[in-house]
Amino acid sequence: MALDKEKLFNQLKILIVVGMMVLVAQRVGYGISITAAIPGMIMVIGIAIFALFIRALTPNLQFPAFAWASLTALILSMPFMPTSRIFLQYTNQVNFLGTTAPILAFAGISVGNKIEQLKKLSWKVVIVAICVFTGTYFGSAIISHIILKMQGII
Amino acid sequence: MGEDQKVKRPLCEKELLDPKGRNGVFVKLIVTAFIISIISELIGRKSFSIGIGNIVLLPMLYAVIMGILVTPDILGKKIKSLSKLVSREEVELASPFVMLALLPLGVKYGTLVGPNIVKVVQAGPAFLLQELGNLGTIFVGLPIALLLGMKREAVGATVSICREPCLGVIGEKYGISSPEGTGTLGTYLMGTVFGTIFFGILGSISVATGLHPLALAMAGGMGSGSMMTAASGSLAAAVPEMSEQILAYAATSNMLTGVTGLYSTVFLGIPLVNFLYRKLEPILGRGGRK
Repeated sequence: MALDKEKLFNQLKILIVVGMMVLVAQRVGYGISITAAIPGMIMVIGIAIFALFIRALTPNLQFPAFAWASLTALILSMPFMPTSRIFLQYTNQVNFLGTTAPILAFAGISVGNKIEQLKKLSWKVVIVAICVFTGTYFGSAIISHIILKMQGII
Repeated sequence: MGEDQKVKRPLCEKELLDPKGRNGVFVKLIVTAFIISIISELIGRKSFSIGIGNIVLLPMLYAVIMGILVTPDILGKKIKSLSKLVSREEVELASPFVMLALLPLGVKYGTLVGPNIVKVVQAGPAFLLQELGNLGTIFVGLPIALLLGMKREAVGATVSICREPCLGVIGEKYGISSPEGTGTLGTYLMGTVFGTIFFGILGSISVATGLHPLALAMAGGMGSGSMMTAASGSLAAAVPEMSEQILAYAATSNMLTGVTGLYSTVFLGIPLVNFLYRKLEPILGRGGRK
């Protein structure tokens, strides 16, 4: 499959902007120095663009870029990997919660074109959806609680 | 999606991301999201007790609420200058931005799982089996939907938490405008708009159930990056002494659901929900079927 370089480049530009937003947001929220966090942020963006690259190369594999990004960082940070110490030292300067506010600001804005559709839903769907969310959460939690207990982990 | 609508068709993702001639849209969207993020961080984390447990409110929760509020159909309707800043164009562009903005978080999750990889592998059986818990949507949701008088919509609405892959499967099997499709779309919309808010609150308060925080952490991985973040972020804030392991478990479970979710809907969810529908509908369903 031909790789769309133009799209990848535009994605990189947006990632850099998002990276800058995170740097400022975590300075405000968690007092992390912007300059100290820049090397870590460059590594993070590097992996993110790598994930987009792999995703673009594997269009038939239903594995999202988000998961590729996690998997790559996971491998680089495993204790027995030579990369782990230096990689973690820098990426620790990028705060986990600091990355979340920009995402959810965009997410909130992005649902703006669904409000009218949402208003058309009946109240029954609202109740059923809440049951569905609660069901999957506690369904999984109860099973894992039992298994973790049987394994003696908790 | 007929041929005659070609002129007014929405931009595809590649065109959306191309800033050529659309710089203004990019700047307005980025500035808005930036201001929202900074305000959210300035408010900071708030936690309070409501008797049965603690609710932890994180900046991301304020960010999603403010994001929804500034859109054209909510506050934009009342404040004209706001609707100029955030118009339909910015709303449309925000979607691919979410996908990209999630990637740094994905990397952070990886760095939380990596160092804990041994513990995660040890908990392997629990990770695999708790995937079956995602069928809880059917056991809890379907009876309620039937009691409320829903018919085939109930099948679509409760088959899973109805994220994008499920929308695709149901759309292909029943058609998205079928009753089943309508149901799936309903749960999907609810999740998209309120999912992070709901799980952001449920995450911290669920500690009160007595279920172990690590079990709850696994449950937070539902195949949606933002919902998992809301659930595990607030859970980790509520149980700070286990926060790293909580985030690592949640991220692993989410990755796993990303792989298994689609197959579990096709091979387990759809057959199960149809089987239970046939059994339960005559008992719980209201008469006078259409």
